[in-house]
Amino acid sequence: MLVNITDNLTQEKWEALVAPFEEETGIDVEIEGPTGQSVAESFPALLASGTAPDVIQSIFPSEDTAPEILDLTDYEWAAGTPMSDLYSTDGKINVVGVGMQAQSLLYYNADLFEQAGIAEPPRTWAELDAALAALDEAGVATPIAFAADWATGVQAQQLWHPQQNLTTPGWQQSVADGSSTLGEQFEPLFEHLASWIDAGYTTADDVATDSGTQEANFIAGDVGIYPMGSWFSTTLAASPPDFEVGVAAAPVDDAADYPGPMGATMAYPYMVWNGTEKADDATALVEYLVTDEAAIATQAEMDHFTREGTDTSSNEYASLVQEVTDKAPSLAVPGNQTVGDHALPVAGFNPKFTELVQGLWQGAEPADVAADLTAWYDAESAG
Amino acid sequence: MTRISTSWRSRAGAFANGLLTVPALAVYAGLLVVPVGFAVYYSFTDYNGFPSQTPTWVGLDNYERIAQDPIGDLHPSIWVTVAIAIVGTLLVNAAALGLALLLRRTTPFNTVARVVMFYPHVLSALIVGFLWQAILGPQGAVNNVLEGGGQSTLPFLADPQWALATLIGVIVWAQFGVQLVLYLAGLQAVSPQLQESARIDGANGGQVFRHVTWPALAPTVTVTLVTTVLSLLKVYDVVLGLTNGGPGDATQNWAYEILAVSFANNDIGLACAQAVLLVLVAGLLSFTIIALRRRAEEGAEAIG
Repeated sequence: MLVNITDNLTQEKWEALVAPFEEETGIDVEIEGPTGQSVAESFPALLASGTAPDVIQSIFPSEDTAPEILDLTDYEWAAGTPMSDLYSTDGKINVVGVGMQAQSLLYYNADLFEQAGIAEPPRTWAELDAALAALDEAGVATPIAFAADWATGVQAQQLWHPQQNLTTPGWQQSVADGSSTLGEQFEPLFEHLASWIDAGYTTADDVATDSGTQEANFIAGDVGIYPMGSWFSTTLAASPPDFEVGVAAAPVDDAADYPGPMGATMAYPYMVWNGTEKADDATALVEYLVTDEAAIATQAEMDHFTREGTDTSSNEYASLVQEVTDKAPSLAVPGNQTVGDHALPVAGFNPKFTELVQGLWQGAEPADVAADLTAWYDAESAG
Repeated sequence: MTRISTSWRSRAGAFANGLLTVPALAVYAGLLVVPVGFAVYYSFTDYNGFPSQTPTWVGLDNYERIAQDPIGDLHPSIWVTVAIAIVGTLLVNAAALGLALLLRRTTPFNTVARVVMFYPHVLSALIVGFLWQAILGPQGAVNNVLEGGGQSTLPFLADPQWALATLIGVIVWAQFGVQLVLYLAGLQAVSPQLQESARIDGANGGQVFRHVTWPALAPTVTVTLVTTVLSLLKVYDVVLGLTNGGPGDATQNWAYEILAVSFANNDIGLACAQAVLLVLVAGLLSFTIIALRRRAEEGAEAIG
């Protein structure tokens, strides 16, 4: 099994996770970390060389890799797994997971909010603008923090998911069928970001600072608001700040619509290589990982996710996240979704989005960034 | 009878000699000719690199896409690559030659200094990138010191122009060690008698360098120029570790476009077309440098 090995998800933890399965079935599970920088980088190379692992964790099928992935639709347990519907293509399931990772979350420093006279977390974009102005006025070093590399693009999208999906439900399909463009979809967000950059709420230093450092800055109390996914609650639990942390859903235009659709991704995605000679063993392992209560609980300890019935009492920050996600009227998959009916029909969305959106911090005009995004999509979708 | 036997032996000897080259030829063909041949073939195809797709012949489409650059990302990366190659080559060679002149005499201090100067090259390029990111990042060691001293911080990695300059500086730091060794070896070969004669004739240090040492170093300079240009054209790991191409696309060079964009998006045809162009440019530049340096090398031979 090729798995994601990171600070949270170590080889030892993976081995402990599959140990009960090995004991029960007698099937030997070999855990393999990525040979390259990540599973996403390693898997295509392994596929091309014909040495792909039986089970792949942490990435999703794409248009290119989908033909290489086993169809799990006929397995009864697959349809009952979280978010399998949002990740299916014409009802076909080729990836399953254990829960949902909420994306559109604002972690805020409640003590700084109080000092700045902000009574309630912002529900609308206007209230968010006002909150940032108040934090700035109160002398907060970084009213809102963005980070470098992948994080810039992901954070920007996380902020925008609720309103974007209210304005254009299923916006990826609108872009794919030509009734909207990527530029139209994101230009209002770019205008918000540009106005914050102009006001100095976030600076060019932010998008040259890695996400680990920005997380440390938030924990140190230097940041007012940090947009990030639910997995940040695991980091907070490991290094609890000495101030009160609040969690709110990302804003919408009209308070009556709050909270809007929650951007969300499947947690712990698993897929099976269709070239495997051990398809039964591989699917049995995946079934165990996504349906066994003890296995699910172990994975929740390794990295936070939201799932009905999951006990979050040991992590106060996860409980805050759970409260927010419980109130979300619906879930919406992000633009870098690579599989299913809601996937944009192009590869490389997030890296290009990140590269272009970072231009805002270098003085690029929102309209130009939006036009570049549309031009990129047009060129990529034309093949 | 004797003549026939000698002729047979001569032919058998030639055949045996030929056989001895077969392993080297097989390795060369297997590790270089075949992969490059596949890359050239794939560059004329639409292919994602997976067994489920057969490469589809698209003629010059990938090369036309590079020429037209509809997204406007490939052409800027050419300028980044050119800047790294030209400025980097000048700085690497200036630093390496300057230090080689300072460390040419074998003393205990110089021996230690040579090891220290070569050390950056021993480090993994990726680690070099991360290391300098920790030093020069917005909250890195240098900016912390500046901030602690009441100074404003410097945007080493946050401003596009600064980031490119920083990247070139780090690449130079990581690469000049090898060229330093080459220059030290080259300096050992410069005739001390000639230098001494020049001094006796009244030449000062600068004149000795200009008229004796520099011309005699011509073959070494050719080698260092070619190896520097080739390594700077395909530099990737340091870019990945230090800036990851950012901010925006400010430090995305050609190798980054090939490895981190085209290959990452499973666009094997386009990536191979980019790689083929890089190989052609590298070959062309190498031969051009060698041709341009021929006259200088002839001068060195005359001195030698």
